Amino acid sequence: MGSTSAQSNEGGLGRRDLIKRSAAVGLISVPAMGFLSACASGGGTSNDQVEKGVKSEKNPLGVNESAELDFVLFDGGFGQQYAKDAIKLFEANYPKAKVKFTPTQKITTELQPRFNGGTPPDLIDNSGAEQMDMGVLVGQKQLTDLTPLLDAPSIDDPSKKVRDTLRPGIVEMGQFDGEPCWMLNYAYTVYGVWYSQKALDSLDAKYPETWDEMLAVCEKAKKKDIAPWTYAGKHPYYLPFSLYPMIGKVGGREVLDAIDNLEPKAWEHPAVKACFEAYYELFKKGYILQGTPGLDHIQSQTAWTEGKALFLPNGSWVENEAAKTMPADFGLAVSAPTGLDSSDKLPFGTIWAAGGEPFIVPAKAKNPEAAMEQLRIMLSEASSKSFTQSVKSLSALNGGTTGIELSPGLKSGVAALEKAGTNVVNPRLQDWYVALQKEKIGVAGIGEMMAGRATPAETIKKIQKFADEAAKDPNIKHYKHQ
Amino acid sequence: MKTTDIPPADDERIPALRTDRVPVVRKTAAPADTKREGTVLNVFSHGVLIIWAIMVVLPLLWAVMTSFKTDRAIFTSPWSLPDALHFENWSRAWTQAHMSDYFLNTVLVVGGSLVGTLLFGSMAAYVLARFEFPGNRFLYFLFIGGMSFPIILALVPLFYVMQNMALLNTIHGLILVYIAYSLPFTVFFLTAFFRTLPTSVAEAAFIDGASHTRTFFQVMLPMAKPGLISVGIFNFLGQWNQYLLPTVLNTDPDQKVLSQGLVQLAVSQGYKGDWSGLFAGLVMAMLPVLAAYVVFQRQVVAGLTAGAVK
Amino acid sequence: MQHGKYRFIVGFLVVPLALYALFVIWPFIQSIYYSLTDWSGLSPEFGFVGLDNYTRLLDDEIFWKSLQHSLTFAVVLPLVTVGFALFLAFMLNVGGRRRKGAAVTGVRGSSFYKIVYFFPQVLSIVIVALLFQFAYNPNSGAINSFLRAVGLGSVQPDWLGDPDLALICVMIVLVWSTVGFFVVLFSAGMASIPRDFYEAALLDGANRFTTFFRITLPLLWDTVQSGWIYMGILALGAESFAVVQIMTVGPSGGGPDYSTIVMPLYVYQKAFRDGQAAYATTIGVALLLVTLAFAAVVMKLGRRERLEF
Repeated sequence: MGSTSAQSNEGGLGRRDLIKRSAAVGLISVPAMGFLSACASGGGTSNDQVEKGVKSEKNPLGVNESAELDFVLFDGGFGQQYAKDAIKLFEANYPKAKVKFTPTQKITTELQPRFNGGTPPDLIDNSGAEQMDMGVLVGQKQLTDLTPLLDAPSIDDPSKKVRDTLRPGIVEMGQFDGEPCWMLNYAYTVYGVWYSQKALDSLDAKYPETWDEMLAVCEKAKKKDIAPWTYAGKHPYYLPFSLYPMIGKVGGREVLDAIDNLEPKAWEHPAVKACFEAYYELFKKGYILQGTPGLDHIQSQTAWTEGKALFLPNGSWVENEAAKTMPADFGLAVSAPTGLDSSDKLPFGTIWAAGGEPFIVPAKAKNPEAAMEQLRIMLSEASSKSFTQSVKSLSALNGGTTGIELSPGLKSGVAALEKAGTNVVNPRLQDWYVALQKEKIGVAGIGEMMAGRATPAETIKKIQKFADEAAKDPNIKHYKHQ
Repeated sequence: MKTTDIPPADDERIPALRTDRVPVVRKTAAPADTKREGTVLNVFSHGVLIIWAIMVVLPLLWAVMTSFKTDRAIFTSPWSLPDALHFENWSRAWTQAHMSDYFLNTVLVVGGSLVGTLLFGSMAAYVLARFEFPGNRFLYFLFIGGMSFPIILALVPLFYVMQNMALLNTIHGLILVYIAYSLPFTVFFLTAFFRTLPTSVAEAAFIDGASHTRTFFQVMLPMAKPGLISVGIFNFLGQWNQYLLPTVLNTDPDQKVLSQGLVQLAVSQGYKGDWSGLFAGLVMAMLPVLAAYVVFQRQVVAGLTAGAVK
Repeated sequence: MQHGKYRFIVGFLVVPLALYALFVIWPFIQSIYYSLTDWSGLSPEFGFVGLDNYTRLLDDEIFWKSLQHSLTFAVVLPLVTVGFALFLAFMLNVGGRRRKGAAVTGVRGSSFYKIVYFFPQVLSIVIVALLFQFAYNPNSGAINSFLRAVGLGSVQPDWLGDPDLALICVMIVLVWSTVGFFVVLFSAGMASIPRDFYEAALLDGANRFTTFFRITLPLLWDTVQSGWIYMGILALGAESFAVVQIMTVGPSGGGPDYSTIVMPLYVYQKAFRDGQAAYATTIGVALLLVTLAFAAVVMKLGRRERLEF
């Protein structure tokens, strides 16, 4: 500012002065620009990992006992308490190590610059609306292979490897192409049709196994002024939670695999067509709660806990998420989706269950051993139980529910899993092709059909076109079922 | 680009305006035939004004009311009064959104950047408006071109600029960035304003021996007060509600600003269903600004009034 | 006047310009460079791909939809907001019952209205969007409850769930939240118009509505133009992004069936969800051009208008 007052100034500023001055400005600005261009997109190659610790029986991964662990957690439906509890256990085992814990809801906004700069945190719970695209992270080799963790001894039984203590499908979900495992889903979600046992009892009905029975129950409910169905209309990609396993039940696993593999004409399979038409019938017969297409997940769940609607396609997190509005005697229960009839390929009970809440260790993490050790601690029975009790969700640890009081929804979920046995399906579209699954198939496809603005035939054509485009898009990394 | 030129002031439109700035209330009675028209208009205008006032106030009152309800009641009976005043929503929001800390941070950041924006913005605008020099037009368009840059594009490179200058997660770093991003509109607005100020006063001061700098601070700046108030309000609102920049540049939990706290509450209600806490938080954030406006609105309106027609 | 002029100019410009160049221009130049690469945003490695992203843009149906919606916003929102604000401000200042001694007066309680109308402006747009989400709830929201209460139970639109209404719903929210500021701005301008002008016009036989077009609007033109540009930039940028992202259908807004996708939201989705940051900056460059064009058009129109008076 007041730079003019310093010198005396006779005769004004001549042209020569001006040139001299601008040259001086140039001299200053040239190195400044050089300095700035060095900032362009971060360092990139600095990979100064912490020194490894000495491996021992107590420390099988070789954690450096005095290095810091940088842990970023998605602070969503599961909250942050379970992670804080697990951190306490880590700090008890390694008293000299510090854990820097950052809960956030803005995973990508906060972490994208750190990935670019080559200084990502050590352990990330990569979840929520701003989840970083796992396909891109794997494709760009930004993650650490978690095989050392899987092969480390379990905390509860050192004679077992961690990988042998996990629920089926957890390791496979972490494998995108080949052996290495890039992520560990800590939660285990049961998807299906959720309802109030009390409401179903009041209709003097039981959960329908065939579509004719489903329509009969719906008619009963409608007569009693209860809308038979509602769903998160603003997020119609909740519908596949019951629709995809139904397709699997009707047409067999191959149909779902073909869809995941983006095979041509995968959506034109008769099983897909039959299931779409069945769901469209719900709309045509007026079995969907008025206004559903304009409700978000919380609003639809609330209408449902209030008893305005009977069935809701959702995942097991709904018990925690809707806890605030759910009456105490609601009798929350989940069922595998209703099929068409007895000619279905798989028996009733076929259900979608899979890991959720993916934890990753970046390739450029400074302290990957500590990150894996933290995960190993979280996969102990004690941590898993505290997770299950506090957030009403199963964890990736197989078992781990004995001796604790399960909430109604959780109990029903465990029962549904037992009934399913090996008939558990796990469609992968929502991990592999997020935009395709949610925005295109979900919102623009199924959402429009269930709002009555497109017929099943039109919808299938539209979705097949989306899938074909995704299969051809060179900007998307493609995956296949092994 | 010549077409986007900001035309100088409007003296030629109604010459009388310049010389006759003081509103004169004439004592003559109005013609009688317009009387009935006045009454109809009066009823009509009151009707419209009242309806809009209701449409503005109702959602806000509803938010205040809702902040005292339970989550269940918010959804099951959104329109009824709360069964009891659930103050625990407020205490939960206060601790969860760290309102007290965030509030202080916001006041620091917005206060600092507002002063800086007005100072640097008026300096640049004054020079661009009142002095001819090579590159003047270029710099002017460089500044106002910034209005059209979508901030979201610059976030990642900006992060590195900040990191390399050790400004990341600092209050003063955030202030500098806020100033930089507020300059385009401020320069645009104030350049137009300085062009309208009479030149005679500055010339007189200059002839009296004042330097350019002194002339600016002691003569021009006070004359520009109405313009500074107007653009100050624009900037205050923008900076108070800014959340993209702090989300990326200011992740240290101790340094967060209010808008970040609110977004945090807003996002987490989607997972936890804590609507009551969200409403409590938003009412908490809303009240001080509303109070400040009600207290200062006389000055705000006076400032705008003097500045609006030049 | 030449006395120390250049030193003064440089002295006054150096700090603002340095801040601006460092924190605004430089990052933008970098991001424009990124639009020529295949940068994912999630790793420091990327390659130069020339204009590939731009050719991809031309074939991207969703991009064209977002462009169309953003242009709609840029035209409709300033028109409605500024127009409605002018109307309200005129009512406030000139719509009053004639009192003794003055040809035109403001309505009684005009300062009260000015306070009330300004309220939404002090709310973060995030909060406004959340509030309206409740109002638009087709099942138990304010609007449909109101319709039921007045006997229109058969008219129960899905609002944000209906592709034909969703974009309008979003625009209403933006108008609601911004109109108050312009009312205060314009009525301040109107208050400083000498009453003589109105009296002269009224004596000439003009009614109050013609005085609006003959006196009020021409005298306020500069303010209106600034407001117009400010509103258009809000509509093209941050405000529309926040409202669409929070309120509308889809994983991060824009639905149903892309009926509300706007350019800044598409930038955000590509950069922060799909891991295609380079393509996102390409869309951002397009947004930049649209905004520049908008500002140029408004200023040009403003100019021509001026010549008529």
